[in-house]
Amino acid sequence: MNDVVVECRAVTRVYQDDSVPVYALRGVDFQVRRGEFVSLAGPSGSGKSTLLNVIGGLDRPTSGDIAVDGVWLGTFSESALADLRLHKLGFVFQDYNLIPVLSARENVEFILQLQGVAGSERRQRAMTMLQALGISELAGRRPGELSGGQQQRVAIARALVTEPVLLLADEPSANLDTATTEDLLDLLRQLNLERGVTIVTATHDPLVMSYARRRVQLKDGAIAGETHAEAAG
Amino acid sequence: MTAQRRSMPLSLLFSLGVRNLFRHRRRNFMLLLAISVAVAGVVLTNSLIRGFQADMRDAAVDNLTGHIKVLAPGYRDDPGIDKRFNVAEGWHDSLAGVPVAGWAPRIRVPAVLMSERETRGIELVGIDPSREDISFVGDVAVSGERLANAADGRLLLGKALAEQLRTDVGYRLVVMAQGADGLNREAGFRVAGLFDGDGTGLEKAFAFTGLERLQSMLGTSAVTEISVRLEHDEPPLLDTAVRRLRETYPAQDVLRWDTLEPQAAAMFEYADMAIFIWFLILMSALVFGLVNTLVTAVMERTRELGMLRALGMRPGTVVMQVVLESCIIMAAGVALGLLIGSGLVWWLRDGIDLSAWSDGVELAGMRSTLVPRLRAGDVALVTGMSLLLGVLASLYPAWRAVKIKPLEAMQR
Repeated sequence: MNDVVVECRAVTRVYQDDSVPVYALRGVDFQVRRGEFVSLAGPSGSGKSTLLNVIGGLDRPTSGDIAVDGVWLGTFSESALADLRLHKLGFVFQDYNLIPVLSARENVEFILQLQGVAGSERRQRAMTMLQALGISELAGRRPGELSGGQQQRVAIARALVTEPVLLLADEPSANLDTATTEDLLDLLRQLNLERGVTIVTATHDPLVMSYARRRVQLKDGAIAGETHAEAAG
Repeated sequence: MTAQRRSMPLSLLFSLGVRNLFRHRRRNFMLLLAISVAVAGVVLTNSLIRGFQADMRDAAVDNLTGHIKVLAPGYRDDPGIDKRFNVAEGWHDSLAGVPVAGWAPRIRVPAVLMSERETRGIELVGIDPSREDISFVGDVAVSGERLANAADGRLLLGKALAEQLRTDVGYRLVVMAQGADGLNREAGFRVAGLFDGDGTGLEKAFAFTGLERLQSMLGTSAVTEISVRLEHDEPPLLDTAVRRLRETYPAQDVLRWDTLEPQAAAMFEYADMAIFIWFLILMSALVFGLVNTLVTAVMERTRELGMLRALGMRPGTVVMQVVLESCIIMAAGVALGLLIGSGLVWWLRDGIDLSAWSDGVELAGMRSTLVPRLRAGDVALVTGMSLLLGVLASLYPAWRAVKIKPLEAMQR
């Protein structure tokens, strides 16, 4: 098994703003190994979310290439990228992005349904995941009936139920209070340590950064430095 | 790199589609209502057009035409006793196996009717009353007496003709017509009864007497026509009957009702087209409403659709979701519309009284009561075409949905 889950080679992302090129990423070289808990940190406009998006196949680099689980994405079609996101990646967004007309269980189950998993197995896996995250009693509730922290847990259950090789979390604490954020981060750390889930978060929240074992600092679209939890003390 | 084959999660999309319809209940209820009313309107109108169509055909067939007629060549252009033929012995054996409702031999010749006060040119028809259950003569309302049999030497007149001739039941009239030998014949007939046709056209055009009596007056044992009525009038059955009769009467003309009554046949075809055009006009107008609703729904859910794409839903699956939502609301509207439309047709099952417009109605070859007729084929057409329009209406909104970039959508 390849130990490198994400490999970025000279990744550049340029946006055109009124004909003026804006460099969101400038030749980033970056690797994530299996089982790491990485936080991409930096001020607004540093490129952390852009890096997360190109790793997740939600955006394409202007130049350079990215490999996820050993597969280079440069020539992937839209549908192939969709397949990659569905089968290999798990996403947690800052706004949870649950489907309002589905219950918590159905929100978790629907991603398996997209994968073509059979009904009984789907239900069992969704319930197991909700149980693991401590929200199985909320399985029948719709997102509107859940608190922000509960919704984020459902979103994490949805992201993990497919057993992805990589969990990408973009500002996962943006809409949560400190106590709920700590709960969430404890959960992510537990998943990382006990289940070996590889996690990459983009955040400017020091609390989130403090839970990551590897902190990558971005500035003006480039990696400005990185620290490891042990070194950081 | 190409994508792997993945089957469409139809049950998920269907479930999402149904639930999404309940997100904006008032808006979708109004759309559902609009579709239902339109479909109900189409069903009712189609049924009335079918009723009108059937009425015209039945009237054409009832008015002494039948489904098929055997005539001497040239009779249609110049009707007279010189265009006559003999009824072949056992001729109806040729129709064995064909569901024949009945047949009637007749003589139809131009004649002049004279009362003491008036004279009128009419068509004199010699009939066998026992065989005329295939035409309007069999069940027309009569004041006085009907003709008793083929030998009955009395006249059955229309009420309107009797008024024109200023005569009545029991009065005596003189009939003048050309005989088989080409010489004029004249005979006295007493009026047995007056029939009340559906409109004055029939009443003024025809006078009936017994076939044998008229043959005797004209000096012939032949007839000018044999009218055949079938149990039903599907084209293959008609074709079979026509083919067999042509074998039996190779020297005569054997013609279908739509050849004998081209105007009614043309109106029959027009009605088919009218049903289709009416449906397209009404439903096309509705499609704009559906497109508008779907585009609004897609725009409102831009963020959600972007998220679905981000999580791995393929563009084709997004298209299918929008198409399915359109089809679901269309199918629900069609089902409700069919229910309402069928209910209206059932409510009007005894017919709509058009006697207030009897002149126009008669001119159109219809009867004074229009009974709507609901046909399974028309229901299938409305259902199928509506669903097709539902798919077409969803294509533009689906295209808009596919154009959504997951990242941009989620950043909104």
